[in-house]
Amino acid sequence: MISLFALLPVVLFLGCLYYMDSFKLVRMRLLLLCLGWGITAAVLALLVNGTVADYYSLSSMTVSRFVAPVTEEVIKLTLVFYLVLRLKVGFIIDAAICGFAIGTGFAVAENLWYYLQLGEGFDLLLAVVRGFGTALMHGGTVALGAIILIEGAHRNRKAAAALLGLFGAIFFHALFNQFVLNPLLQTLLIISLLPLALFLIFLYANKNLSQWLEIEFNNEVELLAMIRKGEFKKSRAGTYLASIRDYFPKETIFDMYCFVGLWLELSIKAKRNMLLKESGIPMLIEEDIPDKITELKLLRRQIGKAGEMALMPLIRLNYRDLWQLEQWEETQSDQKNLSK
Amino acid sequence: MKTTREKVDNHLLITLDGRLDTIQSDSFEKEIGEVLAENHLEIVIDCSGLSYISSSGLRILLTIQKRMMSSKGRLTLCSLQPAIREVFDMSGFSTIFTIVEECG
Repeated sequence: MISLFALLPVVLFLGCLYYMDSFKLVRMRLLLLCLGWGITAAVLALLVNGTVADYYSLSSMTVSRFVAPVTEEVIKLTLVFYLVLRLKVGFIIDAAICGFAIGTGFAVAENLWYYLQLGEGFDLLLAVVRGFGTALMHGGTVALGAIILIEGAHRNRKAAAALLGLFGAIFFHALFNQFVLNPLLQTLLIISLLPLALFLIFLYANKNLSQWLEIEFNNEVELLAMIRKGEFKKSRAGTYLASIRDYFPKETIFDMYCFVGLWLELSIKAKRNMLLKESGIPMLIEEDIPDKITELKLLRRQIGKAGEMALMPLIRLNYRDLWQLEQWEETQSDQKNLSK
Repeated sequence: MKTTREKVDNHLLITLDGRLDTIQSDSFEKEIGEVLAENHLEIVIDCSGLSYISSSGLRILLTIQKRMMSSKGRLTLCSLQPAIREVFDMSGFSTIFTIVEECG
């Protein structure tokens, strides 16, 4: 029963975060992967911390204060770096949920290990401090690192954001482990501040996401409508494309026109699916979508890097845009799994 | 944007006039909240006067659609202007909603 105090709060908190995300950006498969990685990270960190302590003959207090924050945050955040590099998370909300899930897996494994090690010595006070304090701290630090990293990715500054995110996570973890305050008071602080901070971040991120959807959806619909009506040439985008005509071979310019049209169509439909998901209506995948994605990828290759850069004023192909494309493939694989 | 509501036969007819954009969507959402609370089984939205719709507007229509689906009711959009119809067709929303050419 006492062990539940150590294990449940962080899991419940993760559940709240997951359900607060109105767009349901994190698939259950990804959430389970993050939880699994958290558990793996706890085992790896235990081994690394133990080895470092033995090698340098460090006391457990020194390891806890100075070594563990570094090793544990590095291992936990490795999956977040991978997810961002592979475009598996797109926004602050899903990054925070994935980050918190990793921390949850880690904290559950770590607290279970403590419980098994200490047996009856694992009293109610320790369970409360570990369950509400340490466990939420583990989730919070990875969530913080993930939020900083995704913001960096949106600004095309992944490397700097990765370092800053890692530093931030290590800093707060190390600060917590110094136990400057009474552990109960520290736990109380975490319980009162972390939910509030994450709630405010979610509000801000949700507003940002809605604004992005609104602006991009409307602009893309307008541009695609002009292309379909044959009025593209009259638009500013069309004038721009005409202005770069002399710098590229004719076939490349032709491919660029096709690319822009196809990109807009897929992008609009990806946003439509986000709106459907938000409303709780099943997403749609038109039959021709897989072929169109293949075609888009081929066109992108044919246009080349220089062509892609020339198209930047029309289609930014930034992190969020590329993430959308990745989502099509995820949705397709979800549907295949469902039909099996 | 101006909206009017009237009970016609066995359905509620909502007439939209103007732009359903981000600014207008808040008040429209409030109004729709009242409509949904009345538990109508059939809602028809006359879009003949609707000159523009943004994703905020679409989101509200999706909320109505979802609610009608779960209560086994029906939402019908009618008399969409060609430009608005194009948005629905291009984005694939036409398959989500029941859209008819003429109201009544």
